[in-house]
Amino acid sequence: MLNPSDPGVWQRTSPFAIVFFVGRTVRNFARSIVQLVATFGALAVLIERKPAAILVIPAAILATIAGGVLQYWFFRFRLEEDRILIRQGVFQKTSLDLPFDRVQGINVERSLIDRILGLVTVSLDTAGSVTAEGQLPSVSTDLADWLRTRVGAGRPGRSADAAGDDGGQPADRVTPAAAGRVRARGEVVLKLTAGDIIRIGLANRNIVVAAAFLGLFGEVLEIGEDVVESAVESAEAAFQAADEIVRMLLVVGFVLGGLTLVLAIVIGGAFLRHHDFTLWREGTAFRSRAGLLTQKEVVVETAKIQQLTLSQNLLMRLLRGFRLRALPAALLPGQGVEGTGIGMAEVLEVPFLRDAKAEEMRSRVFGSEGEALTLLPRDGAFVRVSPHYIRALTLRISAVSALIGAHILVPFGVGAGFALGGTAGVIIWWLASIPPATLLAWQRWRHQAYLHDDDGLASRSGFFGRKVDAFLFRKAQSVSVRQSPLQRRKGLATLQVQLACGQVAVPYMDHGVACRLRDHMLYRAESSRRRWH
Amino acid sequence: MFVNPEVPPDALPSAEDLDWQPLHPRFVRRLQTGAILRIAVLAAAAATIHFLAISADAGPVIRGVAGLLPATWAVVAVLSAWALIWPMIAVPRRGYVVREKDILHRSGVFWRSVKAVPFNRVQHTKTDSGPLDRRFGLANLSVFPAGAGGHKIRGLGADTAEELRVYVSARIEAETEIEAEAETEAEPDEPADEGC
Repeated sequence: MLNPSDPGVWQRTSPFAIVFFVGRTVRNFARSIVQLVATFGALAVLIERKPAAILVIPAAILATIAGGVLQYWFFRFRLEEDRILIRQGVFQKTSLDLPFDRVQGINVERSLIDRILGLVTVSLDTAGSVTAEGQLPSVSTDLADWLRTRVGAGRPGRSADAAGDDGGQPADRVTPAAAGRVRARGEVVLKLTAGDIIRIGLANRNIVVAAAFLGLFGEVLEIGEDVVESAVESAEAAFQAADEIVRMLLVVGFVLGGLTLVLAIVIGGAFLRHHDFTLWREGTAFRSRAGLLTQKEVVVETAKIQQLTLSQNLLMRLLRGFRLRALPAALLPGQGVEGTGIGMAEVLEVPFLRDAKAEEMRSRVFGSEGEALTLLPRDGAFVRVSPHYIRALTLRISAVSALIGAHILVPFGVGAGFALGGTAGVIIWWLASIPPATLLAWQRWRHQAYLHDDDGLASRSGFFGRKVDAFLFRKAQSVSVRQSPLQRRKGLATLQVQLACGQVAVPYMDHGVACRLRDHMLYRAESSRRRWH
Repeated sequence: MFVNPEVPPDALPSAEDLDWQPLHPRFVRRLQTGAILRIAVLAAAAATIHFLAISADAGPVIRGVAGLLPATWAVVAVLSAWALIWPMIAVPRRGYVVREKDILHRSGVFWRSVKAVPFNRVQHTKTDSGPLDRRFGLANLSVFPAGAGGHKIRGLGADTAEELRVYVSARIEAETEIEAEAETEAEPDEPADEGC
């Protein structure tokens, strides 16, 4: 077994890492739909013409496994006092030299096999470099704890600083056991109950997709009407006197059965992903762990969080719950290798929480800043954007509708009346689409609002559901004020703020307010001396 | 000793009252040349079809396409006129300002935009120039803050772009040093649970 206290020695991970490498190869292959369709399409044609070509499939499976073995064999890592070195690659060799002070967090994932064997897959989150290269598959939990402690000790003011206070032991002599004790001291912020996880399943918007899929599946297998019909017939034979009631009961039974199956799928999925979800506060970091079979652990430094997003879809609204996402800094171009891989850091997600807990999380993440901000979409402090937004949105929606209409109607134009008939049809279609487009735009406008204080801004948006994005001004990367011709006429503007994790925009706000907010935001970003990531 | 006094909102420098620097005057001709070259390719394709269509042995497909030729030539004519006129309208509307703490860029004729990037958020800078840019002695400056795809100011003089790149790089370095000093000074008193 690996011994983290062996510095300066090139080590291999556990042989079970082969499963990880095979899985990664399959995932990389399946990521491109075009690649997948092209390969299987070509294979189907090949097998149809030459049945012997079916041997390609076992050969490909064997090649993938052999590739996994080779990747495992060439994967080595070395732990130094202040850094980790990783060498990997069969043909194209890559070498990663990662100082611990550049690592933003240690994320851990444990598949079922890993859990049985007491192993973990560690991802070293550098918020910018190619994360796939910073992964240690199937290593011991002791090593993960040791790495976490070292990473914490590498930068001042971070989660594992406390390690230094643990019996006065200096950070460079922290043992894995001490690291475990430090972790155990984290404060539990939130723990989801079984009821919460059922609610997450019920609020899953894929419930509609699952129902449609089941319907399609039933159609394909011809178990829909035929089964109902034959069941009804047999039931009729048995209960001739009450055939109408039996027919109705059977139909209701089938509907309820289908519904139960859909619910079982979504709730089962929620348990697979979020079972035993716990969120800890450890020093200056948040750590979440969840999962029934594969257990995933995400650690995000609070300073690294750029934006909080609280969302609530229609189903979640009925259940009076929210979903919170804390978005950390993504790709930092100066740190990463341009054009290679995606440097997206792990998002800290709380899949279900109540409004009081959401506000507590905001307060914990933003600290003493942004106290007047709120994440709750119903808060009365939100200021709606200008009603002119309805007009602009109506025009946009109806224009799209007219374009679709043109495609549908123009082919119906005949002979000399082609152009005239087509154009008139499109104009009538466009005019007819204006009232529903206005309704849609009005619904969108109702939710479009913003709220700010001296430290930050919260932007509310959404159509049926609602979403609030909140951030601190000093985290802004760039700020734009944009004006369309309509906005210029009405003295309005769109404020766009680029953050390290994405963009937040407030459309159709007063131009003067947008300019003042931009200037204030620049002042806060330029005068702040606190770490923004 | 790091000091950070509060600034009243009214005293904040406004990005509206700035002396915007225009882009290089040759940028208009560079855009016109680039657009004309692209239109020339389109015109060459249209001319080829035209030539094939009027030849005696043209197939039914070519003859069918030939019906669209008047419209194609009209599009080429309109695009050519647009390519010559539009840069004369759009380029004077673009401009940039370099301040002590940030760089601002404005653009747009109908849809106008003013974008500001603070130096202490810039990760790196880049200058680039294509063959046409070099022919006109121009270069483009890009600044890359975190998370965004980069922010490009096109149509600068090659010397200006290089001077700006050096200046912005020096400012990034200075800001990084100031932040490092501030962090070192703040650490002993900084509470662990202070938020992000």
